[in-house]
Amino acid sequence: MKVATLSAQFQAEMDCPKEVVMWNYYDHEHLVGTHYKLYNKARVLAEKGNWSLVYRSKRMPLLPFYTSGIGFQYMDGNVMKSFHKDSIGFMLQMEADFKDLPNDRCSVTVTYRIDTHPFFKLFEPFFHKIFKRWFWATWEEDAPMRLRRWKVHKLGFKDFSGIEYINKKLPVPEHINAGPYIFDPPVRTSSRIKTIDGEERPFKQSFELGYND
Amino acid sequence: MAETSVITVQEAGREVAYRYLASVEELKKTGQLTRWIDDHDILLYEYEGETKALSNVCRHFGGPVGYHKAKDGIFVCLWHNWKFSCKDGSCLTHPGLPLRRYALKIVDGKIYVDLLGEPQP
Repeated sequence: MKVATLSAQFQAEMDCPKEVVMWNYYDHEHLVGTHYKLYNKARVLAEKGNWSLVYRSKRMPLLPFYTSGIGFQYMDGNVMKSFHKDSIGFMLQMEADFKDLPNDRCSVTVTYRIDTHPFFKLFEPFFHKIFKRWFWATWEEDAPMRLRRWKVHKLGFKDFSGIEYINKKLPVPEHINAGPYIFDPPVRTSSRIKTIDGEERPFKQSFELGYND
Repeated sequence: MAETSVITVQEAGREVAYRYLASVEELKKTGQLTRWIDDHDILLYEYEGETKALSNVCRHFGGPVGYHKAKDGIFVCLWHNWKFSCKDGSCLTHPGLPLRRYALKIVDGKIYVDLLGEPQP
């Protein structure tokens, strides 16, 4: 059978090292937190080292319903590759390529691709429009998360502990040697996300006061 | 932040410097606000008629605890939904990882915070 490929590629830059963005892309739990307006459920079905098999339920832009599906993702060096099979029936391939830039900055190039029947080539403009909106909607929600994560790292933040001078009521050290940000998957989790229940968003609407960073 | 003043108070034999954080008027608008001051991210809010301040840095991954307005006496961190009590900052999802509480002084409609406090073991 002949196959047609629908694809869309987007690129953007962040004011933090690529490892922070890789952590953010790899983290499953934030889907029903940071992206609570888009995702209503997530569950890690299996995970080991730098790969994971995940169930997610989400609402894509321009579609008036939620779709659920299974995604497999893994790190291949500085590229995160993933395959999603949604209830719509297509298999979406996504590659996120992370590159360092000078001055603790980075760039991310994300490519979305569906191989399908040539008939669907007609819908490529719609595919592009959906994924353009999706990329930027998630980017805008993730960008302040990454910047804050990088900021607290530089203040000496340790996972499941916090910032020592804050919690121990000490003066802010003159020099904090936080070291480089290390991304070492899998991301440590503590919720029900790895159980049969999965993790659901706590609400779908909120009065947001926002970030102050 | 326009105000940067400090007030000094004698407490239990030590001189405590309180830094200006916000005005009562600002806090009244939504009953909750967050602000970075000298590398402390502080969540200031009203709860059961009292003005209180907690660290706004979730002890999980550093997320903003006060991003959402509190509901039913509970803050839910934006990033991964860790829950904290408005009453005292205790963590409801992960006991043992409470938010640090800050002492406040309110003088002439201005709210001041003690960033240092008594050191903890």
